[in-house]
Amino acid sequence: MAELAQSASLEQIENVRVKVLGRGGELTELLRSMREVPAQERPAIGQLANQVKRDIEERIEVLKNELRRRALGESLARAPLDVTLPGVQFPRGHIHPLTQITERLLDIWAAMGFEVIPTPDIEDDFHNFGALNFPSDHPARDMQDTFFLGDGLLLRTHTSNGQIRVMERRQPPLAVVCPGACYRRDELSVRYSPMFSQIEGFAVDEFGKITMAHLKGALTEFLRAFFGPTSQVRFRASFFPFTEPSAEADVRCIFCAGTGCRVCKHSGWIEILGAGMIHPNVLRAVGYDPQRYSGFAFGMGVERLALIKLGVDDMRLFFENDLRFLTQF
Amino acid sequence: MKLPLSWLKEFVPGDLDPGVLTERLSMAGLEVEAVERLKPAFSDVVVAKVLRVERHPNAERLSVCEVDGGGAGRLNVVCGAPNVRAGMTSALAVVGARLAAEKNAGDQACGPALEAAVIRGVRSEGMLCSERELGLFDDHRGIVALPDDAPVGQSLADYLELDDCVFDVAVTPNRGDCLSILGLAREVAALLGRKLSPARTKRIRSVKRAAENSIAPIAIEITAPDLCPRYAALPMAKIAISDSPLWLRRRLKACGMRPVNNVVDVTNYLMLEIGQPLHAFDLDRLRQHRVIVRRAGEDRELETLDHVKRPLLKDDLVIADGEGPVAIAGVMGGLTSEVDNSTTRILLESAFFDPPSVTRTSRRLGLVSEASYRFERGVDRQGQIAALYRAAQLLSEVARGCEAGAVIDVEPQPQPIRQVEFSTKLITGLLGAAIPAGEAARRLRALGIKVKRTGKDSLEAVIPSFRADLREGADLAEEVARLTGLADIPTLPCRPSAEVGGEDQRRELLRAIGERLSACGLSEIKSLAFTAPEENRTFGRLQGTGPVKVTNPLSAELSELRQSLICGLVAALRFNLRREAQACHLFELGKVFYREHDELREGLRVAALSYGELAFRGLGERGRRADLFTLKGMIEGCLDTLGLVDKAEFVRLPGELAPYLHPGTATDVRLKTGGLLGRLGELHPELALTLEVDYPVAVCELDVGELITYGSLRKPVAPPPRFPAVRRDLALLLDRDFPAAQVRSVIAQADASLLESVELFDVYEGGSLPAGKKSVAVTCRYRAKDRTLTDQEVNLLHATVTSFAIERLGAVPR
Repeated sequence: MAELAQSASLEQIENVRVKVLGRGGELTELLRSMREVPAQERPAIGQLANQVKRDIEERIEVLKNELRRRALGESLARAPLDVTLPGVQFPRGHIHPLTQITERLLDIWAAMGFEVIPTPDIEDDFHNFGALNFPSDHPARDMQDTFFLGDGLLLRTHTSNGQIRVMERRQPPLAVVCPGACYRRDELSVRYSPMFSQIEGFAVDEFGKITMAHLKGALTEFLRAFFGPTSQVRFRASFFPFTEPSAEADVRCIFCAGTGCRVCKHSGWIEILGAGMIHPNVLRAVGYDPQRYSGFAFGMGVERLALIKLGVDDMRLFFENDLRFLTQF
Repeated sequence: MKLPLSWLKEFVPGDLDPGVLTERLSMAGLEVEAVERLKPAFSDVVVAKVLRVERHPNAERLSVCEVDGGGAGRLNVVCGAPNVRAGMTSALAVVGARLAAEKNAGDQACGPALEAAVIRGVRSEGMLCSERELGLFDDHRGIVALPDDAPVGQSLADYLELDDCVFDVAVTPNRGDCLSILGLAREVAALLGRKLSPARTKRIRSVKRAAENSIAPIAIEITAPDLCPRYAALPMAKIAISDSPLWLRRRLKACGMRPVNNVVDVTNYLMLEIGQPLHAFDLDRLRQHRVIVRRAGEDRELETLDHVKRPLLKDDLVIADGEGPVAIAGVMGGLTSEVDNSTTRILLESAFFDPPSVTRTSRRLGLVSEASYRFERGVDRQGQIAALYRAAQLLSEVARGCEAGAVIDVEPQPQPIRQVEFSTKLITGLLGAAIPAGEAARRLRALGIKVKRTGKDSLEAVIPSFRADLREGADLAEEVARLTGLADIPTLPCRPSAEVGGEDQRRELLRAIGERLSACGLSEIKSLAFTAPEENRTFGRLQGTGPVKVTNPLSAELSELRQSLICGLVAALRFNLRREAQACHLFELGKVFYREHDELREGLRVAALSYGELAFRGLGERGRRADLFTLKGMIEGCLDTLGLVDKAEFVRLPGELAPYLHPGTATDVRLKTGGLLGRLGELHPELALTLEVDYPVAVCELDVGELITYGSLRKPVAPPPRFPAVRRDLALLLDRDFPAAQVRSVIAQADASLLESVELFDVYEGGSLPAGKKSVAVTCRYRAKDRTLTDQEVNLLHATVTSFAIERLGAVPR
């Protein structure tokens, strides 16, 4: 008890408790040795021993509470912290804005029932041009200045090779999106990059099941998911060698709400993506009968969508890898 | 293609609202990229006739003229121009007029108002103006000379259509027919439901026929009919080379072309108006008066009009005379046969050249002319003769007194009539809009396509010669949809019936890798796939592989495709260190490219670079500095996410296999079953030196293909154990070089089913330990599923495990 009284900390109290009450403690040993006590004396001595044990336990509890109260008092008396000091920094990395936008775009298409399939960056002329109805020596190829790798190989200029790669080995019905890097011979500048990324998408089914009307529906749903449910969408006729009819989809300028600004070149609309019904020659190139099957295809530039979405106007930001830019995402 | 509204109105008369035009053309696939408003640089200038010219009584170089200004009346004007003569029609600025500022011709800002003045004692009530004074062209040699039929009294701005609007139309490569005013007018007429006016194309009667003997017979021959199915030419005599009239030059300028002389201007004018490029040869410089359309063959070179010697390949199509090439067909004329001021007889060429042939030659020479641009996209296959007639007529207006010979027409391969049969079912099936056959036919006819109903749903279209792009039903379906700007196509919900295959699970894995690494504090970067050869030599060397070279790189520094992502990460480190960064923790997920067994391959990789302090520090504290082990921990985390942490091992790698790594840190990440997952280490000090870094730079690169093949996000889930585990520590004395991880993996193989886990908790050398030895301590955890283990049980188990470890590791227990 004296030892207990001198105990100034919870730890010391615990030591006393173990010494006396713990397994192999003084009192425990005493209680264990009860077997040796004659039977008639056992109840009395046992009662006494238990009484002592209870007293000690009670005493320990009281002391503990007192110590806790004291600690509490000390803690509360402590000088207040300068809560304006900064918190501890935790590691935090950032996913590149282009990755985030790509994932967002793919999530939308995946939710609409499109399968995500990767396709190669190194291509041959057939998969990048020929099968997509780009005749050789045709100015349509000028729209895409190509990097060549020798042996008839090149770096794909668009993800449209995905259409050919997938249709070659699978049969309709198909609903697919192919994301990936594309390459064109442009110096890295405010507007262009020699490497950029696109998402190609297409759906093919029996003739007449997938029409331009479904293309409009799919793209409208997609654009509203990406730009917001109240976005206005319009479709214009256009030309791509691998679609017929071809169209471009515009969204009401999100910067000026259509009143005209620098971003939308005062037209009130921002050009977002190209699309159309897959050209019969493309279907023929992969061995599909255009009288039996039809489908739509579309392609969009991820950087362009990212620039619009983020409201920045310099392509180089995405490839310079300046942490002061990247850590904002 | 520039489209001046005033010119368009010749073909589509009546009111045309620029806003509506922009909208309708853009919606129909002919995007108007810009609309430029043109305004005269002057006001109050009228067409006037000079009635009388007299010498100024007090000044030798001045004349006093009586001028008829129509509504402005007859005025007395003092004029200093040397070319003023009685009877000429010119431009008169009346009192109150404002003229272009003297210094810069073409400036829109007008000068001060003109006042009546007394010049050397003679009153002048106006001013006859030069082209420069009107801000039209730079000519200031004399006053403007207008054609005799210019209506006296009319505002000059109106007469020259200076108040105009020019549309810049982006014509897609399939629509060669829209590279002319006529072609665009046809579209405008169809879009607005107007009639296309034939304009002045048919007026040829006024051209004087040349006498038989005034033009020597020209022999034309085509020896390459595959590249030139039609070649027509028109000889003309008594040509007087001069400037073109102002109205014609004004139109060329509005379309972005530079006036040269009346003959060249007429060829350009007609190319702009009807789309057929014309070329004028000086007839007397065509040797032997022969024209041969042939492959270049043995001819190696031709100096073109722009004074550049152009190399020729044997399959280039050229126009030759009796002795050699005089033009590169469809691309540019030769210098020797050029029309100049001494020319009196010309041969006008109007041909159809094979578009791919023109494209090939023009691309190879890097020479794209207005003509080649049109030939490549296909000119009207039947438009050659009409263009010659129209040229003759126009020349007779602008080169007065000229005479035309007979048109020579060589057409070895006439084009058959092209017909396309299609049904409205095709249109409906593609567009998803039910457009009746009658309506479809009406729209197609508006575009100049002859359409016949051949049944209830079936139609037959005769494709006009100017629309080479229309080949099958789908093309006609597009025309039908296009004319209303796709407006009658409904918007239907799209729910594809395709089953989604399993291939996109890989996206989940990729996303998990990126998220795990960014959770560790790494930021994702994106580098260009192009790199310099020395970068690949440093970072990309993998046995048996070589770099992929770009045949036509942007620069030598970008002439190969990256074999490793580490070069991009190091470049990003360098970039950021120069921009205030103290630490850099980066990763990239992307493709690498290499050549293996003569095949080009691509692989997906993830790489990371970690330099400097890692976060998790409070004020005044220092974060842990990145090194091999911080990065290894991140990789382990990543492997854990993919369920691979127990299947992979880290193995010392001989430094020479990864020369970019510090040899003491070079590490292979392998699958225990064999197979390389990637590499890890700290950058070689020599490389670090070039980066001027103070601490180690840890880098790693893993093959994502392998991670995806063997990894999985689907882990078995177990409820927490119900009974407590019992821990026993074990310390072993081992050789210093013995890999600590093996202690763990060897003990884990012990034959003790209740041994739940083995964790390394201490490695210690020195002190009281014998030299060359180290102590490795592990904690073994034992647990049974169905009960709390007793001391005796655990002691027994641990004794077995201990003796197993000692035996298998040849270790001494401590």
